[in-house]
Amino acid sequence: MADLTPNYRIRAGTLLLLFLTVYAVLNLLVQSLETYKELPEKDPVTLHEERIAKLKGALPAFGEVGYVTTVENEKIFAYERAFQNVEFLAQYVATQYTLAPLIVRNTPELPLVIGNFLDGPPAPGFLEKYGLAPIRDFGEGLILYRRDLRP
Amino acid sequence: MIFLITASLLISLILGVLLTLVFFPSAQGKAGLLFRCFAGGGLGIGVTACIHFLCLLTGLRGFTAAIDLAVCAFFGSILLIQYRKRRLRKEWDLPPEWPLSGHRVGLLDQGDRAKEPAPNAALPSRRGSPLQVLTIAVFSIALASSLISWAVACLKEPHGRWDAFLIWNMHARFLYRGGDRWREAFASGLDWSHWDYPLLLPLSIARGWAYAGVEMTHFPALMGFLFTFLLVGLLLTSLFLLRGPIPGCLGALLLMGTPFFIYMGTSQFADIPLALFILTTLILLFFQAGSPDHRPGAALLAGIAAGLCAWTKNEGLLFFVIAAGSLLSTAAYFQGWASSLRRTAWFLAGALPILLIVLYFKVALAPTNDLMAGFSLSALTEKLLDPSRYGQIARAFFVTGISFTQGSFDMRTGMHLQLGPVNILLPAVYLLITGIRIDPREKIGLVQTASVLLLMTVGYFFVYVLTPLDLNYHLLTSLNRLFLQLWPGVIFVVFMIARPLQADWPGDGPEPVPLPARPKQGQRRKTKIREAK
Repeated sequence: MADLTPNYRIRAGTLLLLFLTVYAVLNLLVQSLETYKELPEKDPVTLHEERIAKLKGALPAFGEVGYVTTVENEKIFAYERAFQNVEFLAQYVATQYTLAPLIVRNTPELPLVIGNFLDGPPAPGFLEKYGLAPIRDFGEGLILYRRDLRP
Repeated sequence: MIFLITASLLISLILGVLLTLVFFPSAQGKAGLLFRCFAGGGLGIGVTACIHFLCLLTGLRGFTAAIDLAVCAFFGSILLIQYRKRRLRKEWDLPPEWPLSGHRVGLLDQGDRAKEPAPNAALPSRRGSPLQVLTIAVFSIALASSLISWAVACLKEPHGRWDAFLIWNMHARFLYRGGDRWREAFASGLDWSHWDYPLLLPLSIARGWAYAGVEMTHFPALMGFLFTFLLVGLLLTSLFLLRGPIPGCLGALLLMGTPFFIYMGTSQFADIPLALFILTTLILLFFQAGSPDHRPGAALLAGIAAGLCAWTKNEGLLFFVIAAGSLLSTAAYFQGWASSLRRTAWFLAGALPILLIVLYFKVALAPTNDLMAGFSLSALTEKLLDPSRYGQIARAFFVTGISFTQGSFDMRTGMHLQLGPVNILLPAVYLLITGIRIDPREKIGLVQTASVLLLMTVGYFFVYVLTPLDLNYHLLTSLNRLFLQLWPGVIFVVFMIARPLQADWPGDGPEPVPLPARPKQGQRRKTKIREAK
């Protein structure tokens, strides 16, 4: 059967697509250029990596270490699930990301424990409760602890 | 170091192109070669990731490059043998230099009908209409803009976004840095990093680092770039081959005009690689639908691509099952059971080696998936019979379906309509304006492709019905990515069914079909002599 659709309709459809897609692409470009002007010297993950990397010499390459931060360990994931605060989880993930293949467990109950207190110290008594004694302070809120199990 | 990284990528590309040449020899011409590069590029990255995994398993990590080269040499030899056979056959039977039009690759094997010129075939001229020139110019501007946007996003977040360093790049680091103890991570109990997720993307990254001998921070971003623009190129060249330059450019423009696509490409997530393998499978399935049973190449390659889907993300397993089921049922309906079983067997044969790797990974290494944890019949029944879940998911599908092209939702404000210039309504309006025309010869392929996309959407719907996670959280954090995985396939179908521009200007239609060249006088004489002998 002969195709009776006039070409002008197809041309109109093509022009509509061209106009809207190029508008979307250029809109994204403008946003990107604005972002470029405000780009920080380093992104947050790189900054965090550089901070955490200081620990590497003091830790084993393999095995596992514990982790404590400003809030209690179970709140790290709970805050993210409740859309309240992703910062604590991001710090924990970035620590694991930097130190892989060493496994960083979200618990203070291991012989070696990393303290990551970028957002302030933990609640009073928290470290004592788990018998965490500092081995070395790396600055910028980064402390390595040994768990002392003596009563 | 740059040389070694480039070598790793080049070897992947060469292997992929060799696979397409060995199994799918009919796509010729410049557009055909580009199609091979984009389809083969993805396949090559996937297959070499599988090889690297086997090297890790067997303790041959240090020999990855040598094994890659050996596999390339193997397929190169097969190609050489095929080429010699074809040349001999041509010398005896056919006039030399009989180029097959790229746009007929899917129709090539349909027997005599394929020898008829396609009804909308343009004259063999490279001149284009003003509309074609405008489209190509706009496409070039859009491509340059997208590249700049991509580069800025990578400078802003070189490690990618949340899931990139939480899952994909993290796994790559464990695989690369773990040395002989790389398996330990899977038993680490770090469930939040989803160690049950398939390894194609982390392996591709770890393989590049293994080639370079050093961990380059920007390599995951480079992989993100490759997957993103291989996908754009694949859509462009496949539509160019099948429908001509204007639909090819429009399809690619629609994809690049999707802000969420560029956003996800720079995020270094596995959704864009999965979208690439899904589109590759759909296009190759479309081509196989037009091939006779005795030419299994396209079905085999489609099987490899579908297997790679399963090796990229868990959703890929659902895709594989649906693609195989759709191939079996549509081929049985249109072409009979015998043909259907043969085609499906070839498809499964292509996927089998990769599926065995996925199976080994799931059985021997991966912990239980979080969606399967706590799975019980009573919980399942309760969820299946809860109408409020269906309502909530249907609403989310509607809102996200219209809004996903614009990006992620703000977790604090929840789902709401975001209508940008490019959304799912735009191709719908385009089809309304141009009208629909389905070439009867392409009907089977199109039904297959459309049914896979539709069933995937239904499958995703029921994954949400049964999810053990908080439904709102699960929908908010994943649905837009799932829709994006299918989006290139939807664009492909839209331009395949849209009424094409009648080529009143040479070059507007599909890739020109050169008529068989008359054999030269000398050649004709040689053939006659051989026939006489």
